[in-house]
Amino acid sequence: MREFNLRILTPDGPAFEGAVESVVVRSTEGDVCFLYGHTDYITTIEYGRVKIRQNGKYRNAACMGGFASVSKGEVRIVATTFEYADEIDVERAERAKQRAQKRLEKAESDREIRLAEVKLSRALNRLSVAKMD
Amino acid sequence: MASSMKDIKNRIKSVEGTMQITKAMELVATSKLKKARERIEKTRPYFDFLKETIHDIENSSAGVNSDFYKDREINKTCIVVIAGDRGLAGGFNSNLFKKIIADCQDKDVCVVPIGKKAGEFFVKRGYDILFDSFNIAENVGIADCYDLGRFLSKAYKSKKFDRLVVYYTHFVSMMSQTPACDAVLPLEKSGDKKKNLTLYEPSPESALESIVPLYISGVLYGAMAESQVSEFGARRMAMDNATKNADEMIENLTLKYNRARQAAITQEITEIVSGAEAL
Repeated sequence: MREFNLRILTPDGPAFEGAVESVVVRSTEGDVCFLYGHTDYITTIEYGRVKIRQNGKYRNAACMGGFASVSKGEVRIVATTFEYADEIDVERAERAKQRAQKRLEKAESDREIRLAEVKLSRALNRLSVAKMD
Repeated sequence: MASSMKDIKNRIKSVEGTMQITKAMELVATSKLKKARERIEKTRPYFDFLKETIHDIENSSAGVNSDFYKDREINKTCIVVIAGDRGLAGGFNSNLFKKIIADCQDKDVCVVPIGKKAGEFFVKRGYDILFDSFNIAENVGIADCYDLGRFLSKAYKSKKFDRLVVYYTHFVSMMSQTPACDAVLPLEKSGDKKKNLTLYEPSPESALESIVPLYISGVLYGAMAESQVSEFGARRMAMDNATKNADEMIENLTLKYNRARQAAITQEITEIVSGAEAL
């Protein structure tokens, strides 16, 4: 398969840079797969899995929000956080999930509900990606 | 004479005490500066890329309709001011405020101060404060920037202000930091009527809807990191100067002390000699 350059950037620094064969991201419309030669493109991405294929091997990662763009043949993903599945701390995510569920039950204001929901979906995303590996 | 010698000695002691403090502060600022510079190096690609993407979007904006593009009259400007929490950093805070006052003299502005000094300055002068929960600049993290970014883009859309500018201190080098400002909103619509080939999903409007808050928070976080580095740089310089001044003062005082001591000895000898002659 032909390769193209992929860059993943987070506020904590560049998370990935290199030639890959394909990458799948979860956009607001559903999963999108980029291959070599994709047209210029911009989409927003959701909490979800990013699947990178490099040298015939797949690697999953949990990715939180942001957007993906293709420009001059290079794919770039801008995310708040990006963690490989084998680097996810499952216990911590599990604890975060329980905490968020408790907070969601007790939440009163809209803001509290929104915050708890965000926390919960982050934890659920981490857990589901961790299970894929 | 004896009392003046004691006075001088006390002065020397107190200056020495001050010097120790300024020296310690300089060391603290130096080590914090190092950490802040590492952080800035790590985060820079992210913000450069955000800016690049926004620029790409601006360039391919033909046919895109969004509230974020310039097409309304500018009445009110919102300024986000990023300053420090503490003084003792030379002209770090005051240079920035001076620039803002000069820039915004006859404009209708509202302020989002970040950092204790910025809050104090603008509240005291009776400015219209839009949002002030970020009193301590050092505690503002990326999550707060996301919140603020969302808040500001919402406020812009609901026409609370028509222009968004960020004021911060740009880190030029260890020796010099200059006040700077970045215009964030509205986005520049490029006059280029070239056919827009970039594909937006689900639509340009909704893509911008989520990218713009990210962009604002990115600019804020980047500016904040920059401002922090500048603050430490300015403080290091100021404290370095203070230490040097203290050193000079001690030198002068020691000279004075030695002179006073010599004068006392000479006087004593004169007294003894004249006493012996009288016998």
